[in-house]
Amino acid sequence: MTAPALQTTSLAVLGRLEPVSLELGPGELVALVGPNGAGKSTLIQALAGLLPAQGTIQWNGQSLSRILMPDRGRRLAWVGQEALFEFAFPVREVVAQGRYAWGDDLSGVAEALAELDLTHLADRPATRLSGGERHRVGLARALATLAPIQLWDEPVAQLDVRHALEVMRLARRLADAGGTVLVSLHDLRAAYRFDRVLVLDRGRLVGNGRPHDVLTAPLIREVFRVEATFVESLVPELPPG
Amino acid sequence: MRSRAAIPALLALLALAFLASLAFGELRLSFGQVLAALQGGGDDIARTVVRDFRLPRALVGMAVGAALGASGVVMQAFFRNPLASPGLLGVSSGGALGAVAVLALGPLLGFASAAIWVLPLASTAGAFAATGAVLMLAQRGAGTERLLLSGVALNALLGAGTSFLLTTTAGHFEVNAQILFWLMGGLESRSWEHVWMGGPPILAACLLLLPLGRAMDLLSLGEQSAQSLGVDVRRLRFQLVLLSTILTALATAVAGMVGFVGLVVPHVLRLAFGPDHRRLLPYSMLGGAAFLLACDLVTRVFPMGLRLGVVTALIGGPFFLWLLRRPR
Repeated sequence: MTAPALQTTSLAVLGRLEPVSLELGPGELVALVGPNGAGKSTLIQALAGLLPAQGTIQWNGQSLSRILMPDRGRRLAWVGQEALFEFAFPVREVVAQGRYAWGDDLSGVAEALAELDLTHLADRPATRLSGGERHRVGLARALATLAPIQLWDEPVAQLDVRHALEVMRLARRLADAGGTVLVSLHDLRAAYRFDRVLVLDRGRLVGNGRPHDVLTAPLIREVFRVEATFVESLVPELPPG
Repeated sequence: MRSRAAIPALLALLALAFLASLAFGELRLSFGQVLAALQGGGDDIARTVVRDFRLPRALVGMAVGAALGASGVVMQAFFRNPLASPGLLGVSSGGALGAVAVLALGPLLGFASAAIWVLPLASTAGAFAATGAVLMLAQRGAGTERLLLSGVALNALLGAGTSFLLTTTAGHFEVNAQILFWLMGGLESRSWEHVWMGGPPILAACLLLLPLGRAMDLLSLGEQSAQSLGVDVRRLRFQLVLLSTILTALATAVAGMVGFVGLVVPHVLRLAFGPDHRRLLPYSMLGGAAFLLACDLVTRVFPMGLRLGVVTALIGGPFFLWLLRRPR
């Protein structure tokens, strides 16, 4: 049996996240939902080892505290909710930073740029991009790491419909190729297309399972304080191919 | 601008400023006389002027400029803010207070600051005490914002201490003049002792900084993203604060408080050649050295009491204002 890609035991962050124990396997595409302030970003940062936290975290069965820094950069990629660039690095160089832990070879940089539709912006200073474009740069940098575990914090919140769908398709493809992809998002309808959904509410993990089992009308009412009904409407899709 | 031309261009500027530093002054020498004097030839007076007075002064100036330029780059990457400067954490005001305290209180306590190393030592001690205080104040988590605010508070406090000592010595003109020298910086009567005090450690700190350029690139775009990409951010931040403190402390110790070099030089070079720290660090060291020598030349060519710190601020101040007005 292969070890889970991500495993936590009573992972907690003081005042922000109550103890969470979970396992995410290779090949899983996982959505993380919850209201504002529920602790989604905190959980993602803690999983990435970016926050002081209690409990244990294992990546591929290995305790995080025993994984050295450069190796962490090769094994897990994190994309934050905010994509602000203070210095005018060209887009291509920001994406190439994803290769830092690999000794700054440039393999995969051009592909990552193309994947996020950034090739035509490659030479533009990252300070002169729109919010959505900056988020795509952050995603491309994470993709360039070739890390098998990808944690993306609200990657599509600022993207237009087409780019958002492309990012979702990319996430699916990475998972199908054996990666573990955890994506936080607010679009509950999009969450139904994931393999698994985690629901956070006020720092507690209140749902963890297949979307149709977890995202029920009572849970949505309880957590989000809205009524959920089945509707028929136009749903945007990428053309096949 | 092509970055391939940067190193030769900056080296040429530096060489020019260096030769001019040796040639200009009360005794005007030709470049030929300077070169002859450097090789041990020429007439006695020229040789003494060049080798015993102007050469150490120019070398100290280069070391101080390189130190402040590099330290400015570090602070700007550290705080992810192109407006950060070497003195931000209170290093230079701590260094100034250390030196001023010795100047003002030394006579009262019965020890003269005659020994040439007393002032630099006091200044370095003050600088490190200031940085230590900032790090302690901001310790738990030592977030960037808390560091910054602690630095602001400490700068105000140290500045108040210096002003107090300045007013208490108001009647003692000689002490006052020495204190003013420290507060405005200067390269007058710098000797070979100052070269040996400042030069080698500054060179060492600069060499230790150079390999950190790539990690600084990542840090300058965010601490968390840098760490997620494999940078040991805690260690890097420690290294950067330490090296930048050493550089600023030594610069202040041998030349007093010289403002704006660390702000202006990295900024101009970043605009010209881009933000890549692997290049920006060496460029700023060379550019800082050349800029400081040029400013020192101005104080010598216009002998109306222009101080080095005044000249760098006269050039740096308006530039800073222009920078603030530019849309970012």
